[in-house]
Amino acid sequence: MIPQTEGADPPTAPTPPARRLPQGRREWLEFVFRFQSLFGLLAVFIAAIVFSPARNGELLFLTTENLANIVRSVSEIGIIAVGMTFVILIGGIDLSVGALVGLAASGVAVLLMERDYGVVPAVALVLLIGTAFGAVQGLISTRLAIQSFIVTLAGLQFARGLARIWSDGEGVPLAYGDGPGRAPDSFSVLNERLLGGLLPVPALIFVCVGAVAIFVLRRTTFSRHIYAIGGNERAARLSGVPVGRVKVAVFAISGFLAALAGIIHAGQLNQGSPNDGAGYELDAIAAVVIGGTSLMGGRGSVAGTLAGALLLGILNNILALNNVDANVQLLIKALVIVAAAALLTLRSTDE
Amino acid sequence: MPPLLDMQGIAKRFGGVHALKGVDFSLRSGEVHALLGENGAGKSTLINVLSGLFPDYDGAIAIDGRPVEFHRPAQAQAAGVATIHQELDLVPEMTVAENLFLGREPRDRLRLVDRRRLRRDAAALLERAGVVMDPARHIRSLRVGERQLVEIAKALSQHARILVMDEPTAALADVEVEQLFRVVRDLRHEGVGVIYISHRLEELAQIADRATVLRDGGLVGTVQLAETSRRELIGMMVGQPLRDLFPKGDATPGEELLALEDFTLVPRRPRPGRSEPRGITLRVRKGEIVGLAGLMGSGRTELLETLFGAGSSGRQEGAARLDGRPYAPSSARQAIAAGVGFVPEDRKDLGLVLGQSLASNITLAALQTFAHGGLVSTGRAHKAVDRAIAELGIKAPNRGVPVRSLSGGNQQKVVFAKQLLTRPRLLLLDEPTRGVDVGAKAEIYRLLSRLAEEGMGILLASSELPELLGVCDRIAVLRGGVVVAEQTAAEATQESLLEAATSSEPIEEDAA
Amino acid sequence: MHISMRSTLAVTAVCALAGFVGACGGDDEEGGGETQSSAQAKTCGPDGQYLIGMSQANNAEPYRERMNDDIEAAASNVPQFEVEFADAAQDNAKQVSDVENFLTQQIDLLIISPNEAAPLTAVVKKAYDQKIPVLVLDRKVEGDAYTGFIGGDNVQIGEKAGEYVANTLLPDGGNVVELRGLPGATPAKERADGFRAGIAGNPEVKITADAAGDWLREKGQQQFEAMLQANDDIDVVYAHNDPMAEGAYLAAKAAGREQEMKFIGIDALPIPSGGIKAVEEGRLSATFTYPTNGKEAIDAAKKILIDCGEVEKEQILSTQEITPENAAKVYADANAS
Repeated sequence: MIPQTEGADPPTAPTPPARRLPQGRREWLEFVFRFQSLFGLLAVFIAAIVFSPARNGELLFLTTENLANIVRSVSEIGIIAVGMTFVILIGGIDLSVGALVGLAASGVAVLLMERDYGVVPAVALVLLIGTAFGAVQGLISTRLAIQSFIVTLAGLQFARGLARIWSDGEGVPLAYGDGPGRAPDSFSVLNERLLGGLLPVPALIFVCVGAVAIFVLRRTTFSRHIYAIGGNERAARLSGVPVGRVKVAVFAISGFLAALAGIIHAGQLNQGSPNDGAGYELDAIAAVVIGGTSLMGGRGSVAGTLAGALLLGILNNILALNNVDANVQLLIKALVIVAAAALLTLRSTDE
Repeated sequence: MPPLLDMQGIAKRFGGVHALKGVDFSLRSGEVHALLGENGAGKSTLINVLSGLFPDYDGAIAIDGRPVEFHRPAQAQAAGVATIHQELDLVPEMTVAENLFLGREPRDRLRLVDRRRLRRDAAALLERAGVVMDPARHIRSLRVGERQLVEIAKALSQHARILVMDEPTAALADVEVEQLFRVVRDLRHEGVGVIYISHRLEELAQIADRATVLRDGGLVGTVQLAETSRRELIGMMVGQPLRDLFPKGDATPGEELLALEDFTLVPRRPRPGRSEPRGITLRVRKGEIVGLAGLMGSGRTELLETLFGAGSSGRQEGAARLDGRPYAPSSARQAIAAGVGFVPEDRKDLGLVLGQSLASNITLAALQTFAHGGLVSTGRAHKAVDRAIAELGIKAPNRGVPVRSLSGGNQQKVVFAKQLLTRPRLLLLDEPTRGVDVGAKAEIYRLLSRLAEEGMGILLASSELPELLGVCDRIAVLRGGVVVAEQTAAEATQESLLEAATSSEPIEEDAA
Repeated sequence: MHISMRSTLAVTAVCALAGFVGACGGDDEEGGGETQSSAQAKTCGPDGQYLIGMSQANNAEPYRERMNDDIEAAASNVPQFEVEFADAAQDNAKQVSDVENFLTQQIDLLIISPNEAAPLTAVVKKAYDQKIPVLVLDRKVEGDAYTGFIGGDNVQIGEKAGEYVANTLLPDGGNVVELRGLPGATPAKERADGFRAGIAGNPEVKITADAAGDWLREKGQQQFEAMLQANDDIDVVYAHNDPMAEGAYLAAKAAGREQEMKFIGIDALPIPSGGIKAVEEGRLSATFTYPTNGKEAIDAAKKILIDCGEVEKEQILSTQEITPENAAKVYADANAS
């Protein structure tokens, strides 16, 4: 009683189109949206050049020293933001990363200065602690079905408290040298610039972390699972995705990267203090949002986050070079975040 | 006397696409007028024009002979147009009563919501709509079909003169359909005009007077249903000579694949509104298609979910064996690994990641077959996806489009493709052709027949009795989580199935 | 999926391009027009225009706000000087960036009051190695890679505070509770050590509790609230600065116990909300002046940049004890000028 379609399809109507703008304009908008973070970065870069003060015939913004400074200054937040991208992609959030920076910074300082650990064991232990911390948060969130917002908020307090306990509430300055009560010289490499001052070591680590993350999020089954969970967790589960395992792994990654950032922090500042990293989680989230990742999950990329972090770094730099009042700087940064988020919303309603 | 609604020469373009090309449509007071056509024929666009969703369109609309312009939804609503969509507009966190009166809650002297009157008015509304439901229940605890009834009650409460119903019975079992029809007939007597969109041609004869068929955005014709056969209607819709919807199956059932013996699920925490499987004894052999019939809430979905490891957590009692080995999956992942696939009832919520592409959705369940050491081989994956698209006849511009942009039938095929890529031995289906247009339905039935021929065992739950009768070899009837009858397709009829499903014999409480 | 690859490439390309442009952009500046270079500055002389960068630890502290004001006031009298201020808001990493940005702006002299010593040492050394004169105010960095340090003798101030407690406030002994400044800043340690030396003469005076208020009033208040709970018998509260002392006073007042104890602080700013007024009005028993060094800093800068001279490595300023006897007069004098 109903038509039997054979090899050739019968002429059926085309799929009903969504409410579309005229073709040309829509395609142009699509292009802008997909590369939203890149365009933003480019725009801020050009604005920085335009607004760059000049002295003695050169644009201060474009000096290699300054550009290296920028990348160095965003390295820690950038590394944290990479981890945060993973967490936000599955529809969660990790508020504990700032406290983990303090935990890791003070932890590695204590290990190096007061317990006379070697560099490799100290770093390895602190990274392990960070990873375990993240994994535990992931486990609590999945097994007890508590939202990650709440779990990591508690984790934030816990990490701060733990950091203060094991460092007696005070910062531990690093003094280099041989013998007890001194940290091995090799750790100070974190504060150096390679290639004749061009490449700060933290920036190198940041770029490496970013590259690995981009690769993982493009080519692995793990990344497909992540995007599926973020897009529709129930459908993902019914498709055989090991939702619990993936979520725990994602939080473990976030914890690992936060600990890494904390270690770098201690190396750069020659001091590990339990209060370090306060507020870093918000900067990381800002970088992720500006980079075009949706807080609802399922959409976004690490490349966008890298661009977002660099964008914020350039913004900070150009405001500082022009000696803009600190409070005005806060206002401008807030506007940028809102603009990026608005662009994201515009994009999703257009689909 | 001028008709209640008269639409002349309605046309609408989206960019370069002509969704409607000069369609005429009229509706008399007290008439039920069916609007037919395959997906993409223009039915939704026509309805959206009537609902005032487009700021611009071509053509003229007249109500009671007076010309009107509907450029905003408020204008259409003011003229008495009410629409019940397929996508339900209910707030899950609120109760039925709250949803019914959302935005127009009865208030007391202090301008606070008068809860008692709210409940009373809600109960009255539900009764008028013929819906038996506690107005204090939360929407999120209702099944899809129940939510639809609430939607209908809500639209009725807004004093519509022109009521548009878009696939209203898609998720209703036959008994509820009867209730709905009763209400629609009452509305006719009150002079309300009903525009009725449905793919269920069998129903139309019972409820509709005229039918207008659209195809490819244009008007094919308007006919009196009493004088038109179903074949003719389908012919108008598809524009092609017809043949049988249900293919002749060539499969010979083989050895036993799934064996359930007194299978029961004792939930750890009983959830309201669920009928967990109780003492189910059922067999599915290789190459066999077994149907599950029953009313909404009879436990079909719960059984299928449990067999897929996605049911309520709890203790399984009785025996479940797959290919002779004990089978008790605790997760979908385990079920898939054991060779079982599941096409869920609600594809948008449970079956698809709407924002992602065809390719991503299709490969999601079988990623390890394209992966080597955790890395996905996009070449192999794309080849498999292209093969699936070709085999199932999925119509899409390319494999990278988001599935959200596909029609219902094609979306359902994507869900099928995803499960089939995992090479299941047993396929579980829950309402597989719901919201699917006629052409795609036929394709799905042929697919099932072919899969059975290849030796797959299929367990199919459906509320469409003709579908069960046409596709299955045997049909089991469920009520309250228990199998109350089992008949072969040859001996069963719609009446016998319906009777078994609604019989008022008490179900023996097993000493479980 | 193409986005990420393209984005990465694009970002890398842009950075590389910028680096290329920067490298080809320009060399180190050779100052134009100025005459000699002294041992302490690259260029100097009365004919030049000089850009001075002032990196402050935390503008939110009244003492530091005053320091900034003093510097600005003193610099306004020197037409050759332009001073830019940066605020690190107690964030070490930000202060490092602030100094880096000053270096990018090619400042001629750096004044810095570091938030904490260890984190800022490296970047200060960087400036110093680039032959930019560095004046360190009030808090020290580690090592000696700076041109001159101007500050108070915190150990001595602590000693004086200790002696005041031991001899005047608690001659028969008693319990002292200490609110410390930010632990990594040198004054905190010095004021603590000095105080302990000062009370050593009176063995009946004991320090029963201490906590870090980080120089901030709210923090001081918070910490002291906890201390009130834990300690029934407090005779004197010794805070490393006036804001913390005031915070403690507020906490005690809220608990109704402010009459049981005496409060002493350090800073003694001659402003309405400062320590001198607080002593005058009876909330604090004593405070000690801690000069902001603003004027001295500009004087030193003048010596280096304009006179092409040299300044001493350490310039220590003296302190004055403020008690109810002299508070009013000192306040009046300070505000008359």
